[in-house]
Amino acid sequence: MKIDDLEKLENEGAENLPSEERRRFLRFGLAVTGVFVGGSVLSLTSARKAQSDMGPVPATGAFPYKPHYTMVIRQNRCIDCERCLEACAKTNNVPSYGYRTTILQREREIERGAKERVFMPVLCNHCNRPPCVRVCPTTATYKDKKNGIVMMDYKRCIGCKTCMAACPYNARYFKEENRAIDKCNFCYDTRLSKGESKTACAAACPAGVRIFGDLTDYDSEAYKLIHMPDKVVWVLRPETGAMPNVFYMND
Amino acid sequence: MKRNNKSVMNMVGLAAVVGLLVFSSLSFGEEAYDEGTYGPQAPIVWAKPVKGVVFVHKIHTMDAGLTCDNCHDKLFEMAAGTAEKNADFTMDSLYKGKYCGACHDGQMAFAANTRCTSCHAGVKGYNRLTGAAPQGKAPVKH
Repeated sequence: MKIDDLEKLENEGAENLPSEERRRFLRFGLAVTGVFVGGSVLSLTSARKAQSDMGPVPATGAFPYKPHYTMVIRQNRCIDCERCLEACAKTNNVPSYGYRTTILQREREIERGAKERVFMPVLCNHCNRPPCVRVCPTTATYKDKKNGIVMMDYKRCIGCKTCMAACPYNARYFKEENRAIDKCNFCYDTRLSKGESKTACAAACPAGVRIFGDLTDYDSEAYKLIHMPDKVVWVLRPETGAMPNVFYMND
Repeated sequence: MKRNNKSVMNMVGLAAVVGLLVFSSLSFGEEAYDEGTYGPQAPIVWAKPVKGVVFVHKIHTMDAGLTCDNCHDKLFEMAAGTAEKNADFTMDSLYKGKYCGACHDGQMAFAANTRCTSCHAGVKGYNRLTGAAPQGKAPVKH
């Protein structure tokens, strides 16, 4: 197969490969390095593809959905006041033992041994290639064809929790009341479909951490934020190839 | 002779006490924290308007050299928790030079709109400092 043909194939990610496939790939890798040791470096990635992999933000115009919902998290502004969590729980009837979104915390060493607290809000990343959707045996979880939100059809869910294991972001929990998996759906049923423009968490945030928006609207704050040339934008766990739609930055 | 003996014993006792004091101050190498001079040692934790904002007297007095009347009673009342009852105890007020903003203006100390988590410890910090049980983390019933 030529590289041009290979590029047309969809990346299925490495996490679902059968072990035989892995072994064959490793053997191939060893053979290549054995042949080329001390010689020139062989790149199996074409230069064009490598360029597009430079950052986590897709090229303008390459957003598959309309609207293409996103959340931009200005991480350094988060003070863990947890108003977003309260608003989410209230709006979406989230029980005390689970969460649709939460805030992680860590300490980072900065200059002269001083420590800095970092709060990191996390939620479903509504991936373009969602691993949870791929593994669901009953298609209870699906990616909405129009707006790209990863949704749940509770009636179809058999509670096997395979999607919980597949999710790279730990964004799902089993809701006892529904006997089904529950997760963030960007407040689609509770707010967006009723004409609201923001999710409950974004509306409740007093510090402008969570900016909800549509990437196909080039005038939206979310689009502008992640396309500022002087800011670094990152996503969580890019190596999974899931192409998440929640972007992080400091401002 | 008897009296003399007693005074010698006194001298020895005094020397021992002085020696102990000098030794202890040398061995610890730092000044003991005096709440009368530097303010209460326990951190002040505000819960309004957002939970878990922490003020530590030691950093401002003993370490930075401020005295009580630098802040009391013009910026803050002596009684802890008075400020948070005011409707204007907000970040906007700080940017206008009220409360912490009197010094945290980017000149005297880091500006109030930078380094948020230096003072904001959040709900997690609030629970840790006050010993409150974290909410919404009840064990799962099956």
